[in-house]
Amino acid sequence: MITFPVRFRVRQIGIDGNTMGSSRILLCEEPGAFLVGKTDDADVPLTGDAVSRRHMSIVLSAEDVRVRDEGSTNGTYVNGTRVAEQVLEVGDQVSIPGWLLELLAPAESAASATRIAGVEVDASLVSRLVITDDDAPPPSRRTFPEMEFAGKDIVGIEALRASGHPVEEVKFCAVGGGLGSFVWVDHLRCYGISASDIRAIGTEEVCYRTYQRYCKNSQIPDHERLRSNSLSRPDNIWGFPGYALREVGKGIGVKGIFQVFGEPTLSESYTPRAGDVFDSLDVEAKRIGWSEMFVKAQVLGLRKTSDGRYAVAYKLWGGEAQGEARNRYVIADVVHLATGYPATRFVDDFQTFITNHPDSRAQVANAYEPHDQMYIEAERRGGPVQVVVRGRGIVASRIIQRLHEARAKNPDIRILHSMRTPIGARDGAVFRKARRLVRNNVEIQPFNWPKSCWGGDLRVEYERAGEEDRGVMLSQLGGTTTAERSDWIAIAERGAEEGWYRPVYGNISDLQPLPSPGPEQPDGVQVSINTVEGNEEVLNADYLIDCTGLIADIRRSPFLADLLDTYHLPRNHGYRVTDQGPQKGGPTGLRCTNDFEIEGLRNNQGRVYAAGTITTGGPYLAVDSFLGLQYSAIRSVDHLVTERIHKVRNLGPLRSFGGWTKWMVGARP
Amino acid sequence: MIPTLAGRLQTRLFLFLFIGVPVTLAFVFVLAGWKFDYDIAMPFLLFLVTITGLGLLLDPIYIFIQTTRWDRDWPFAYQFFFSWVEFGIVFAVARAGLIPWLPVSVEGQPAPLVDFSSSAAIGLATLHFACVFIPSFLALLGPMQAIFVRWRFKGGQFGKL
Repeated sequence: MITFPVRFRVRQIGIDGNTMGSSRILLCEEPGAFLVGKTDDADVPLTGDAVSRRHMSIVLSAEDVRVRDEGSTNGTYVNGTRVAEQVLEVGDQVSIPGWLLELLAPAESAASATRIAGVEVDASLVSRLVITDDDAPPPSRRTFPEMEFAGKDIVGIEALRASGHPVEEVKFCAVGGGLGSFVWVDHLRCYGISASDIRAIGTEEVCYRTYQRYCKNSQIPDHERLRSNSLSRPDNIWGFPGYALREVGKGIGVKGIFQVFGEPTLSESYTPRAGDVFDSLDVEAKRIGWSEMFVKAQVLGLRKTSDGRYAVAYKLWGGEAQGEARNRYVIADVVHLATGYPATRFVDDFQTFITNHPDSRAQVANAYEPHDQMYIEAERRGGPVQVVVRGRGIVASRIIQRLHEARAKNPDIRILHSMRTPIGARDGAVFRKARRLVRNNVEIQPFNWPKSCWGGDLRVEYERAGEEDRGVMLSQLGGTTTAERSDWIAIAERGAEEGWYRPVYGNISDLQPLPSPGPEQPDGVQVSINTVEGNEEVLNADYLIDCTGLIADIRRSPFLADLLDTYHLPRNHGYRVTDQGPQKGGPTGLRCTNDFEIEGLRNNQGRVYAAGTITTGGPYLAVDSFLGLQYSAIRSVDHLVTERIHKVRNLGPLRSFGGWTKWMVGARP
Repeated sequence: MIPTLAGRLQTRLFLFLFIGVPVTLAFVFVLAGWKFDYDIAMPFLLFLVTITGLGLLLDPIYIFIQTTRWDRDWPFAYQFFFSWVEFGIVFAVARAGLIPWLPVSVEGQPAPLVDFSSSAAIGLATLHFACVFIPSFLALLGPMQAIFVRWRFKGGQFGKL
């Protein structure tokens, strides 16, 4: 039962992530739905450029308090996880860009409900923001899992049981529930671990859902091809037979086999279709019993236990359980962290633009956010449409291809391709005796790292190198590249010839909204570029699509930030190569051993491993790839075998072949 | 393929032992009329040993070529091509009578049972090498990984990571 008035503390968040200004209290006296947003008729008007007009609703009933995203551009987050609709509990933090709303405990008495920190609040301001003085009530702590976890780095099992929350014990627990978790669990299962010993916790029932969303947004629908190898199969720990052979079996064609034979020198590299990868993951999920192991929940925290294991606190999403019954603990001997990209951040000038000019939000998009509307509008509009595409990576290539497709419906679409500098045919990155190929001012590489980073001599060399040498290799071998695809090359060449594609070189110095030239005319965006020749070129465009990628900062995940702080975990660092030698840059991923163990979390016999993008800068370059996830999985599971304390049996040639045979016939491992 | 030097050497020896030798024995068994004939088997085995030995010597050169490639990889097509180059070199040198342990006919002496300088030898040696090469090459395309699950991450080496 909900006690009215329901109270939220509302705080404004500055660009640095800290709270600013005074706290306010939002009082909601009766059930109903209250719209939060920038529109004038919002019940709770919040300003801010990244706030949508109709951003979210607070829905109050006698049973629960919930938030519902109203299709906002920048999303609604509960405790750091993006949600569509979510039931709240006291202490939950709802964030939308620039604002933090915290559900407070019910007031002790009717009289004190309208008294906040001793200040009498006008009760007529029900469901409106009420400004209190700076002396707002002390921050209420969430009771779960803070009651057991806060301020402790080791917790006792008895204390967890005494808390009244359900406590379950398993051997292995995968935190994340995405592709990284799936690949690790797949290895455990193929090494002979029973499904009943494993729990995987995540907020998406389908392991590839988040990945698929990024693909769709960056214009790779299921029938398009990914940038991945035939033998990099996240659904098959052996990687054989590859996707190319699978296509032959499914009657799609034999072209892939010849591509694999000649790639990357004599033919374009083979890449699998997104939909085929997802279909094969579905099959493997069924085979290993993913649904039996999977728990749909949000992981809130992790602590060492006094008996050499780990307590993982999570909150069930959906399902039958209500209220406090949704808050649970699982105790595990071995934990695997693969939480993927935390809340992502745009590049600075793009972020500044959308913050300062929210009305022009529809004119600009990052390639990883949903922006299909742009293509639809550009196709529908008769007459010229200018689109600035920024960046030269694989995503930019695909976006340009999508615009090229749109030209079939509106031949007046023109593409301005903004790149920082031209790259001549002999200006590609150099690593010792080798130089990277350049085509049309873009560096060419089949995959996002040189191939031998996955399993050749560069993998060995990188793993053996010290921190600084690793940083140098990372910066020399990394960088923005695209794949050599004849259709992409043809688009750039034909477009330049026919005048609908033009590269523009220089730094973007300013982004400004371009007011509509007349009624019924759409708005635009003005892009100023300091060209390499030293001139300023001003592009009046209809749309800007930023393909420079996303910045991942693991501290932006509340779960990882809590772990970093509680156990003082070290992080990897980026390095820049300068004339004075390598310069240490900002922190990147979680520091882990060559076996992907997070040493700072070792707890007697307990082990914690990590995988994926949160280990960037660690023992392997291509952590954020299908094959990289398999590499880290096999390293960590092999480590469990070597240590002989968790009864994981080695996967030698005979057992490996036996397991593979089971895979081939679709038998449960 | 993204082999390392150790991986190349180990995989080459493995394929020689577990595909090359058995296939050669089967080949000469059929050739000799469904019976084992030591005198026919030996020249073919030695021929294969010579190719493998030459390959082991050439492997460092292949690795050097890899370092000049940005991806430091070795396309399957190269593997295919250079396997036949190795065969061609050994066969040509054997034909010239320059490899003492591979028999050629010498004037004034009785012709050996297997004569690498004879015209029939071209077809026979090519057939033999094809029988060894095809399964070895196919094994590299993936089946090796089904047995040695870490092999692909170790650039063709065996053992743990």
